[in-house]
Amino acid sequence: MVKKIVKRGIVTLLLLLLPVVLFLFYSFDPATDPFFPLCPFRMATGLECPGCGSQRAIHSLLHFDLGSALNYNLLMVLALPYILLGVWLEWLGGGQHYPQLPRIFFGKWSALVVLLFVLSFWIGRNIF
Amino acid sequence: MNRYFYIDTEGKQKGTFSPDELGQEQIKKETLVWTQGMEQWKRADEVEELARLFTGDAAFGVREQVPSYGQAQQIGYNTATAAPQMPRSWMVESILVTILPFMFCSSFFSLLGIIAIVYAAQVESFFNRGDYAAAAEASRAAGKWTRIAMWIAIGWVLLIIITIILLFVFVGSMAGLGELLNS
Repeated sequence: MVKKIVKRGIVTLLLLLLPVVLFLFYSFDPATDPFFPLCPFRMATGLECPGCGSQRAIHSLLHFDLGSALNYNLLMVLALPYILLGVWLEWLGGGQHYPQLPRIFFGKWSALVVLLFVLSFWIGRNIF
Repeated sequence: MNRYFYIDTEGKQKGTFSPDELGQEQIKKETLVWTQGMEQWKRADEVEELARLFTGDAAFGVREQVPSYGQAQQIGYNTATAAPQMPRSWMVESILVTILPFMFCSSFFSLLGIIAIVYAAQVESFFNRGDYAAAAEASRAAGKWTRIAMWIAIGWVLLIIITIILLFVFVGSMAGLGELLNS
């Protein structure tokens, strides 16, 4: 009972946060406006983490500028459809209709592939 | 005498108990137990030291233990009749709490998500190997770490938003002050 209330609370909170966050990312450009959070890894090492540029990429995507979004953070643009797929499979009933999809995209090996992909993107973007 | 853990009907791990104390608990023949030195969880009646609990020997103070079929099926642990269901793997959730922090420049939180992913992968491994108790245990751990990562991430995003709003109020009031001084 309590668990259900907590769960509903979390969902409501996230659904309320989403438009706020989207509005902030739409109306302000993280590339020029100062008050967006900075990457601690980048501040400490000067290198880019796998997520660096994703806020700028979201801003560009919200303005339908796919080119510069890819330029800012390729990984995040590729990850968005994957994230939406996960949300659909887990919470919007997709997993019940297509039970083989979670096994393919969210199994043990796909998790490994995702982690390796993130890791190679991390190394790659700092070398090239 | 060894001290044992067991998995109760709700899938929770309990322990530790001596064999005599286990007799006082509501354990059945098919209850999964574990003690030091065992490679994996076993049915209670397969453990030599515990088998006598089920012989109906009154000397051990054991109430009549009738294994209830319905309950065993409900638990889904390795009863021969009921096909067990894989416990929730938390894979989707744990991958999300690993990827999403990158977007808000809090990549250090992704480490928590990676812990959750490791447990989530273990759920599948243990389950395929037939070690259902360990799978349940891994599922519990995966859920725990996913929740930890999620709450920290939510707190972080809220903190950022509050900071931005405060900044706006501050800048706004400064601008207002400036106008007041100029006029």
